[in-house]
Amino acid sequence: MSAPLSPGLRSGSLPLLVALMTLLAGLSLAGLTGVQTLAEGWSGAARNATTIEVPSDTPQLEDRTHALIQTLHKTPDVTTVRELSPQQVQTLLAPWLGQVSDTGHLSGLSLPVVLIVAHTGTPDLGPIVHEALPEAVVEEDRRWGERLNGLGSSLVACAWLAVSLIAAIAVLSVGMTVRRSVMAQRKAVEIVHFLGAGDLTIASRIAGRAALLSLAGGVAGLLFLSPVITMLARKLAPFSHGADTTALPATTWGAILASWWNTLHVLPRALLEELGALPLIAACLGWITAQTVVLVWLRRLP
Amino acid sequence: MIRLLNVSMMPPGVGQPVLRNLTLTVPQGEFRWLLGPSGAGKSSLLRLLTLETRPSAGQMDLLDISVSRASRSTLRNLRRRIGFVPQDYRLIGEWSVFDNVALPLRLRGASERDTRREAFAVLEWLDVAHLADKRPGTLSGGEQQRAAIARALIGRPELLLADEPTNALEDTQARRLLSTFQELVDMGTTVIVATHNEALVREAPATSIVLQDGTLAASGTQDETSAPRSKTL
Repeated sequence: MSAPLSPGLRSGSLPLLVALMTLLAGLSLAGLTGVQTLAEGWSGAARNATTIEVPSDTPQLEDRTHALIQTLHKTPDVTTVRELSPQQVQTLLAPWLGQVSDTGHLSGLSLPVVLIVAHTGTPDLGPIVHEALPEAVVEEDRRWGERLNGLGSSLVACAWLAVSLIAAIAVLSVGMTVRRSVMAQRKAVEIVHFLGAGDLTIASRIAGRAALLSLAGGVAGLLFLSPVITMLARKLAPFSHGADTTALPATTWGAILASWWNTLHVLPRALLEELGALPLIAACLGWITAQTVVLVWLRRLP
Repeated sequence: MIRLLNVSMMPPGVGQPVLRNLTLTVPQGEFRWLLGPSGAGKSSLLRLLTLETRPSAGQMDLLDISVSRASRSTLRNLRRRIGFVPQDYRLIGEWSVFDNVALPLRLRGASERDTRREAFAVLEWLDVAHLADKRPGTLSGGEQQRAAIARALIGRPELLLADEPTNALEDTQARRLLSTFQELVDMGTTVIVATHNEALVREAPATSIVLQDGTLAASGTQDETSAPRSKTL
């Protein structure tokens, strides 16, 4: 043990406080990752598709539609052109135009031809389509993509705000805990100060202890978080192409850990890295906060 | 050298100064008794000299450093050159007696070997080496006082201040302490001892600083201060 030069930090509540904050931050990060993935999925799907509607009263509907499909196939960046079947169109329009009749048709309506064009990049298909078939209506899903992107960005911003708020509350709580501890040891701190201990010597000792307690709290918080994260990973596993969902139940501790680790790998790598960094971030925040609080407090002494 | 020029001290929240226009000089390597009735300002003067507070007016030089203009780091280094035996001992309860005594040397960056050697030497001299691992709270008043004296003496400070350092000591221990103070003075340390113990003062005649109502009532030898006339040393 190193020789004491200054009182340390006395706080039994700090690790528990940091553990709870780590748990909250972990949940928020998991939520943030989910929202980010969803938002990217939405905007990606919408950005890479265009819907073309050819009215049913268009002259030579079948031939001109076929010609349009051929033109689109030759257009750079277009990957697929899919014509929806009449049943698919009916199903698509049913919420607006009423239920499909027993005969399989919407009564009194002739249905348009609907083409779904998938593409990479952002080609402007409007002029190409209108040149081939002026009657066609082009619905650029890109606009929806932009709206969804905006919504996704807002949700991500909210999640980041939650993470930032948790960090701010953690800093505030650590600060108050450290201040309370310094006040409780005021006499000892004053003694070492008046014997010639430097402000940094005193602050570093307390901050070092705060960092250690915060690190312990952060690790405990991760342990609290692991069942939630494991459950999340299990829920996500069926959607992950690489996940092995047919693994046999593990019987040894090593196998259980390996199986658990395998389960966690379903989660985005960035999320696992962020969660792994939480105890270190907690320790850094604890150190900086304690150092600042003690240095400010010491300025009151002559 | 200690030099105070028209120094006043008014603690925050107190209506009137506890020290007023104090002017005195103590050359380096001299001994002074600090005398006066309770409330005369002895402890306040010691608080000033240990840099626990700053003068609210006037100029104070300690060990040839102007305290009024000193930076925070200068004050920190100055404190390391001062030894102080407070009346209430001020030992850190959570630490062992050894760690309390070793602190001034550790703060000066002494090696752990030297710190250990010096700390045990001074603890042995004060007959409390066997208590080195104990917590101060488990010791008697006299033992705590000796631990506080050991902390003040370690590393041979250039200025030694003591507030009633013998009030919990037996007569023989008090006499030994006085002879140690004299040895330190011979080696160039300035020693100022505040006391009510008139017998002790009679036993070791030296120049006295007598305070009354926060002002310098007299200074000089015992004979001179018994009928105070002069106000400067």
